[in-house]
Amino acid sequence: MSRVRPGPVTRARHKKVIKAAKGHYGARSRTFRSAAQSVDKALQYATRDRRVKKRTFRSLWIQRINAAVRALDPTCTYSKFMNGILKAEIEVDRKILAELAISEPEAFKKIFEIAQSRSA
Amino acid sequence: MTNPKIFLKGTQPYELFDSIKMPINKTFSIKPADIEKKWLVIDAEGLVLGRLASLVASYLRGKHKPTFTPHMDMGDNVIIVNAEKIELTGKKREDKTYYWHTGYPGGIKSRKAIDILEGKFPERVVMKAVKRMLPGGPLSRQQLTNLRVYSGSDHPHEAQNPESVDIKNMNKKNIKRN
Repeated sequence: MSRVRPGPVTRARHKKVIKAAKGHYGARSRTFRSAAQSVDKALQYATRDRRVKKRTFRSLWIQRINAAVRALDPTCTYSKFMNGILKAEIEVDRKILAELAISEPEAFKKIFEIAQSRSA
Repeated sequence: MTNPKIFLKGTQPYELFDSIKMPINKTFSIKPADIEKKWLVIDAEGLVLGRLASLVASYLRGKHKPTFTPHMDMGDNVIIVNAEKIELTGKKREDKTYYWHTGYPGGIKSRKAIDILEGKFPERVVMKAVKRMLPGGPLSRQQLTNLRVYSGSDHPHEAQNPESVDIKNMNKKNIKRN
C-alpha cells in the first residue's frame, strides 16, 4: 500500500492549535498533543475568568471605598457607609465611588457626608 | 461635550458635582512613578501583638489608601520601636510556641514566645507576627522589607522624618486589659 501523507486540512488544524498555544510552557507550545489539551483548558479558564473578572473588580472597588471611608472617619466602615448610601437613595455605584475617592476626593467627601447624615 | 455630571437620584435634591473630568471606563491602577511611600513609626509598648500586626500588615500592603492596587508595592514603610515591650494576652506569653523543622527525621524544634522575648532578638516576635499576616508570595516578601522592627526606643531612620502613628488610642482593645 502506498504511503499516505498528512493532508492540508490536518496541517491547518494542527497549525491553528499550535498558534493558539503560543507562550505555553515547554512541549505544551510545541507538540500538537500537549498543545491541544493545553489550549482546551486555557479556553475554559478564559471563559470562567471573564465572569470572575467582574467579581474581582467589584471587590477591589470595595477595598478602595473602605480605605477612603476609613481615612475620612476612622470609626466608619464600608458597610456603614453603604448603608448610608442606600438610605440616602444615592445611586452612584461602587465603581464610580472608588474612582471618585481617588480622582475627586472632594466629591467623595460630599457623598460621604450625605451618607453619614442619613445612616443614623 | 459639556462636562459630565454626577447625578444623585432620590427624594432629596442633592448638589451636583460638575468637576468630573471625563467618563470613567477603566478602573484606576497606580503607576510606579505615582507611588508615595510614607514612613510611619509605631511605639509598640503595651500594644497587643496580633492587633498591632494586623494594622501594620495593612499599612505595608497599602490597604489604607484609596489608590490600593493589589499587585503593586505601594504601602508605607513602617518602623516599630520598643518591640520587646509588646503584650500577649491570656497565657500566650508562656504558651505560644514557634515551631520549625530542620528537615532531619525528628527534627522538629520549638521555642516559646517568652524565650524569644527575653532572648537576644526579642523583635522577632513582632516580625514573625506581621510576616504571618501578609498573604505570602514574592510581593509580600518585598513588602516585608519595608518593615523595620527595633527593640528599644531608638531607630536609625530619623532622616526619613517618620510620622508617628498612635495605635493605642485607635481602639481600646489595642492595649492589654488588666
